Amino acid sequence: MYKSFFALSLIFLSGCTTVVIDEYRRSDGELAEGDTVVILGRRHSSDYETEPDLIDCVGQQLHNPDRGVNVIPEKQFMDAMYPWFEPRTAPMHVRSLDRLMEIPNVRERMETYGVKYIVWIDGSTETTASAGSIGCSIGTGGAGCFGFGTWDKESDYEASVWDFRDQELSGKLSADAKGTSYMPAIVIPIPLIARVQNNACKGMAAQLQEFLLPAQGSKS
Amino acid sequence: MEYPGNGFSTMSKFTILLAAILISACSHTVRVDGSYPQPVGQQHPLTVGIYLSDEFRNFTYHEDSEDREEWNINTGRAQKNLFETVLGSMFTEAIPLARYPQDLPKNVELVIVPEIRELQFTMPRETRVNIFEVWIKYDMNAYDQQGESIASWVITAYGKTPTAFLKSQEDALAQAINVALRDAGATLYTGFAKVPELQALLANKQRALSMKQTDPAENQPTE
Repeated sequence: MYKSFFALSLIFLSGCTTVVIDEYRRSDGELAEGDTVVILGRRHSSDYETEPDLIDCVGQQLHNPDRGVNVIPEKQFMDAMYPWFEPRTAPMHVRSLDRLMEIPNVRERMETYGVKYIVWIDGSTETTASAGSIGCSIGTGGAGCFGFGTWDKESDYEASVWDFRDQELSGKLSADAKGTSYMPAIVIPIPLIARVQNNACKGMAAQLQEFLLPAQGSKS
Repeated sequence: MEYPGNGFSTMSKFTILLAAILISACSHTVRVDGSYPQPVGQQHPLTVGIYLSDEFRNFTYHEDSEDREEWNINTGRAQKNLFETVLGSMFTEAIPLARYPQDLPKNVELVIVPEIRELQFTMPRETRVNIFEVWIKYDMNAYDQQGESIASWVITAYGKTPTAFLKSQEDALAQAINVALRDAGATLYTGFAKVPELQALLANKQRALSMKQTDPAENQPTE
């Protein structure tokens, strides 16, 4: 009884996270059958890196062929379009797509993939503060840890949605998430982790789905 | 009283083993073994020989300074894969050369010989930024059929990767090197025709090809 209560407590106890999503929409999303969406991370900044696992997470959350959202994995797309979407060569503005489309092989490949939207995600998750300390000791009578630690994490991501066919900016989304994790240790350390990046990912994916499929998004 | 004959040798072995463990604990070995995609785009109309020296194919960067632990980073195989793939699909024909300048095939118009000049890296604890960073610099050399230098240019490549939970320093550095090598490939591919000497060579070749295409029509007998 106590064991199951303890296990359940561990599952349900986790640090709290708040997520704020903002949206700026210039045109409604329209995905026809066979259209695909590419989600790419911006990696041109020198002091941070948009995490590949965040891009994977948004892609996996958004990919739903039954609802008409087909997402091409980032790595697959970047390999197929090499070297035109590498950090050094990737188009920074929608109007730069014109120049890229002048290369016949690139245009052909984009058309083969049926790319309708390119979503660029820029940002990162960082630990902003930490406090407390935990000490562990081992002796003949056994081992144990005592103390308390806490740390804050912040996610700040912005997604730009480019309509590849119309070559225009369809809109922008931003996801800001904050959370505090705790680790009390009374003999055993009990981590209460705030899943900040994961919650930012889920919030952004849900908003992107509503953005790309406005009719279905409002029904659900 | 006699000590057992192998008592000292066991002790020695244990000491040597312990010393080896302690030494290896302070040294890091990274072997980068990536494969890279073929570039998408039009090929330059040239028959090119590609010579990757043994030093280039087996390149290992060694660093053992006072500020850092010992690092041995082998990028030879990965950079061989990269240059073979990228140069191999940049031109209408690319011929890998086992030796240079001996036995150069007659139809080769240009020989490309890359050399690695520099590799640098930083770790998160050095920069206080949560990313591993790598810089690689290559000297690129192009020669004609007679072995005369046509062009020399430099390629600089940069790669970074964020620190990740449960990922070793070696894995993170290997990943950053792979990103840098992809960047080197991108720079090589997009920058080749911007080197003035090579731009002129390509323009001459294009002119010669277009004249060749128009010549047969002009040479047809008129009635």
